[in-house]
Amino acid sequence: MSVRAILVLVAASLILASGVTSAHRLYIKHKIGTVEIEAFFGGGTPCRDAAVRVYDDAGNLLLEGKTDEDGKFNFTPVIGIASYKVVVEATHMPGHRAETVINLTATGAAEGGEGAAAFPLYARVIAGLGWLMGLAGAAMLYIGWRYKREFEGRAKISEGGETAQREV
Amino acid sequence: MVHISDGVLPLPTLAAGWAVTAALLVLTLRKLRAEDIPKLSVMTAAFFVASLIHFPVGPTSVHLIFNGLVGVILGTLSYPAIFIGLVLQAILFGHGGITVIGVNALDMGVPALVIGVLFSRWVKNSLSVERAAALGAVLGGIAVTLAVALTAFMLYTAGKELVGVIAALVLFHIPVIVVEAAVTGVVVGFLLRVKPEVLGVKVVEVGA
Repeated sequence: MSVRAILVLVAASLILASGVTSAHRLYIKHKIGTVEIEAFFGGGTPCRDAAVRVYDDAGNLLLEGKTDEDGKFNFTPVIGIASYKVVVEATHMPGHRAETVINLTATGAAEGGEGAAAFPLYARVIAGLGWLMGLAGAAMLYIGWRYKREFEGRAKISEGGETAQREV
Repeated sequence: MVHISDGVLPLPTLAAGWAVTAALLVLTLRKLRAEDIPKLSVMTAAFFVASLIHFPVGPTSVHLIFNGLVGVILGTLSYPAIFIGLVLQAILFGHGGITVIGVNALDMGVPALVIGVLFSRWVKNSLSVERAAALGAVLGGIAVTLAVALTAFMLYTAGKELVGVIAALVLFHIPVIVVEAAVTGVVVGFLLRVKPEVLGVKVVEVGA
């Protein structure tokens, strides 16, 4: 084979490999991913088999489903709808319900939820105990005031009685 | 679980729950004495944190309630204790709804009241510590069962099926019932030995 024949062969294979018709154009395909929600009880136990309902911002029911055994549920947002209300109702523990609004146009929409509390659990426990101490103090004050009034009332009556006796 | 969330129950049920709770609070708090307050506060605190002790059961999760223990120790003051505990749980833990506090207090507080009254009436007759502790254990278990049944009844007013829900809730709560019965029994036995006045009993010469 001559050198020229080899060159022709290489050129031909390169043209074939690059895709003759496309001639190096760049393409973009796109697909909107899913929104994943996760339902769990306080303490982290997943809320499985729970009924999930997704509403649009006008309150129309868009779709329904059930959480999987990890308490997760996925849905694809509808193009044109920015805000979704998600309602979860526990099946195995009836009476437990939670709802959240996912607004896709808000900053920080990528992750969030009700479970993200402002204070850690121990702080909330301490806050609760503090409230109880305050309430106990307030109740003590109230009862102290009641006793005092009762005592003063009684003292007045006995005073009155004494003066009446003296007059006699 | 016995803490119903917001948005589950119909309005009449919520209103009835608040009405009963308000009436019972007035009735039970009227005779509040200064010396009851420390006991009331401690038991409210115990009730408040008990719901944080939870464990997975079957496909779900349950937690301790301690309404029986509160009832046995506080008697009629158990209702305000449970009410205050529920308010704090709702605000600080998001545990149970705000509008449902009346109903939730009824669900847990009425069994506590009943158990408290029964206990103080019966414990005066059964003077041995062992028998009183056994009585406390049984009542502690019954308090949870009653609370679960009342919760199921409230859900029934929201259109849920009655018998199936009671059965499922009681089944999942068996561990809670067992644990609370044991704890209530042990606490009653301990208090009767160490400080019977706390239970409103003047038990003397026990086991003599």
